[in-house]
Amino acid sequence: MGIIVGYIATLGIYFCIYNILSIGLNIQFGYAGILDFTVITFMAIGGYMAGVASLGPEQPGSQIFYILGLSLPWPVALLIGATAAGLLGCAIGLIALRRLRSDYLAIVTLAAGSIIYGLVGNNSKIFDGFEGLVGVPQPFNGVLGLNPNSYALLFLGFAAVVMAVLWVAANRLRNSPLGRAMRATREDLEVAEAYGKNTYKLRMMAMVIGSVYVGVGGVLTIWYVTAMAPAGWGTSETFVVWAALIVGGVGSNGGAVIGSFLVAVLFNEVTRFLPGISSDPSLIPEVRNICIGALVILTLRFRPQGVMPERKARFPELPEASVRQEPAIVAEEV
Amino acid sequence: MGEAPLLEVDGIRKAFGGVLAVDGASFTVEAGTVTALIGPNGAGKSTAVGIIGGALAADEGRVGFRGDEITGLAPHRIARRGLIRTFQISREYPAMTVLENLMVSPMNQEGEKLATALLAHRRYRKQERELVLKALDVLADFGLYGMRDEYARNLSGGQKRLLELARSVMADPVMLILDEPMAGINPALVSHIGEHILRLREAGVSFLMVEHNLEVVERICDHVIVLAVGRTLARGTMAELRQNEAVVNAYLTGGGVDAGTAR
Amino acid sequence: MSLFLLTLGFGVVTAAVLSLASVGLSLQFGVTNYVNFAYGSYLAVGMFATYTASQSLHLPFVMAALLGVLSSGMVAVAVDLLVLERFVKRGTSGFFLLIVTFGLALILLNLEQAIWGVGFDRYPVALGNPVRLGPFSVTPAQLDVVGVAIVALSAVHLLLTRTRLGKAMRAMSDNPTLALASGIDTRATTMWTWFITGCLAGLGGVTLALNTVEFQVFTGNTFLFVIFAAVILGGIGKIYGAMLGALIIGLAINLSTLVISSAYAIDVAFAVLVLVLLVRPQGLFTVAGKA
Repeated sequence: MGIIVGYIATLGIYFCIYNILSIGLNIQFGYAGILDFTVITFMAIGGYMAGVASLGPEQPGSQIFYILGLSLPWPVALLIGATAAGLLGCAIGLIALRRLRSDYLAIVTLAAGSIIYGLVGNNSKIFDGFEGLVGVPQPFNGVLGLNPNSYALLFLGFAAVVMAVLWVAANRLRNSPLGRAMRATREDLEVAEAYGKNTYKLRMMAMVIGSVYVGVGGVLTIWYVTAMAPAGWGTSETFVVWAALIVGGVGSNGGAVIGSFLVAVLFNEVTRFLPGISSDPSLIPEVRNICIGALVILTLRFRPQGVMPERKARFPELPEASVRQEPAIVAEEV
Repeated sequence: MGEAPLLEVDGIRKAFGGVLAVDGASFTVEAGTVTALIGPNGAGKSTAVGIIGGALAADEGRVGFRGDEITGLAPHRIARRGLIRTFQISREYPAMTVLENLMVSPMNQEGEKLATALLAHRRYRKQERELVLKALDVLADFGLYGMRDEYARNLSGGQKRLLELARSVMADPVMLILDEPMAGINPALVSHIGEHILRLREAGVSFLMVEHNLEVVERICDHVIVLAVGRTLARGTMAELRQNEAVVNAYLTGGGVDAGTAR
Repeated sequence: MSLFLLTLGFGVVTAAVLSLASVGLSLQFGVTNYVNFAYGSYLAVGMFATYTASQSLHLPFVMAALLGVLSSGMVAVAVDLLVLERFVKRGTSGFFLLIVTFGLALILLNLEQAIWGVGFDRYPVALGNPVRLGPFSVTPAQLDVVGVAIVALSAVHLLLTRTRLGKAMRAMSDNPTLALASGIDTRATTMWTWFITGCLAGLGGVTLALNTVEFQVFTGNTFLFVIFAAVILGGIGKIYGAMLGALIIGLAINLSTLVISSAYAIDVAFAVLVLVLLVRPQGLFTVAGKA
């Protein structure tokens, strides 16, 4: 029984985390049309920075090396992780968002992700290289002294609260004039600019807010897993987030929720139990990645709007008695 | 008119890869007029519009609007001063509704501030309601009210042209620059759009419009500026220009007068 | 000074490899008008098909390489026919096409991993002892690489200037609407473009493998960023720009090893890319970027 509770709580936590990641990507891509091909890097930076903020100083004999080591309380660590991810988003935005071409942005994000991956992996002094951080303190755990299953449930509640707060904020943003202006830049950058929108600023905002979301997802990840290493945030992990967003429905936060469940939880768990193809279990990661890539391509081919498409904007303030007559001429195409 | 002109274009020059698209064109647009910008294909009309609107940087020359120099400003800054330009091919926000297309346009919306959008959505609610009412009125004026909740991509070509004008009106412009607002639509709608332009002029909006259809130009434009090979060839009323040999020649030698791909 | 010249020699070899791949990517972009993120995997196809043909089938290396190059061209055509063409036909917006090619990159890379594993391999050919050529010191294999690049790029030049296909490709690159209107068979031209650029990618992969000696399936994908840097530097879609971009990036990467560790080769390419994007995003050699 206890194992099942723990397993379900863990799945629930992953669901919350992927939800936060895909809503973050939705703010970047779904709202503002920013092709961020390195989402997972923001997760990693958020997680690492929160990790080294909450870990104590390096132990000389442990062979684990990292920067900072400040033993800070968790709210501060969360703030540091989120800020670091936001700053990285800002830095990448500074390079690529001024330019009109969306493919340049995609190239720069992908390249920057690859560079950061190499830097973090090859330099054992920053976040302990390819070995990664381990033993990151978990919030509340020391204080309450719970058994692992109870802690998993508690953490699930915590992650759900964080997710709910971020979800509400993302929806408020979406429904606001600011979100509308962001969507206009997604639809046509040049036109939005010609109608007085500072498209650079709008896209930078979406980039940074999205990065902060993803960074928070990273903080939750490192807290729950208590470890983080480059193997966990390769390009294929970025694609899982993209798959969640696209399968769910680009532009719709509800879609991001459904997509996170379908892709990150259901699909990931099902493929985890794949009987090894030709009885070779070592191929499971490859098969899984191929399936995720195919899933995205098939979705874009046959249901590009996703399971839960972006809703039309509604204006609840519409006065009820606003019946207007229609002028006689109705435009017809030539 | 003793006042300074609303828009002053002075000696703008722009080359693309050694080819001069605009070669020292100068002209002015007076407040309260509908001014046409005509010329054969490749005369540099769209390039000139791009430079005025800030989308293209001129190699030389200056542009003044309401007495201030706007040369080299970012397009959104120029738009914020009340100078709005439309595009040759109508470019709606396809996956947004017609009403939403209009709601993007108003400048300085309170809800475009991040803190207000996230934390104090009540603060912008009143302005939002006023803007929705205004947008519905504008949609009714342009005969698009029934389409308000339709995705803009589902409109017909003519309706997209109307939407373009409607959303420009929502920006409260001082001056509108229209790049071939009547290209590719049927004659009934052409005169319909012409009426809208005249109505807006009465409401105080000034216009500069690139147009190929000389009948339309004759009917609704107060002044006409003729560009040829990147320079200002002539200006005056359509009747005056018909007498102008240089203008007639430019049109005859400059190839067909149609909506080509002279971008 | 001699170290400088020696490094310069290696730089030329890198530039030769890079120019093959960059011209392919740039040519494909020019004709199809979207970036293909799966391009790095095409390099790996050429690299490893050659490996299999020479290691397992015991073909002579030149035959094996030819087979490898053709197979990456075929893979490029197959991917276009099976996937990309269907999206293009439906008018899928550029955003989503990029995501599709990103997905294809993931699929192809993982297929390659499944087939060839993730370990390092080397071709069963003798690379020869370094020979001295004036101040330079290169292996005969590296000399061959430079020779192959010169021949292949000259062939591309002749193709583009002398043949009907090449003229059609240039027309589509300059103005696709006009090309279609003027009776060019855009579908066939696109397919040939994929084949030729796929072959160039394969050739880039084989020469890259010869130059680095040891290679794995990720080698192509990592090199993709260096290719992007060269292509954007030269002005995306511009073939001769890509050659010049490749020369500059190739030299920059190798000369940088004089001052910093060679582990940072990609970072150097990225730094150049960032610099170009900040200062002159339309590329060094173009006057007006493609809209």
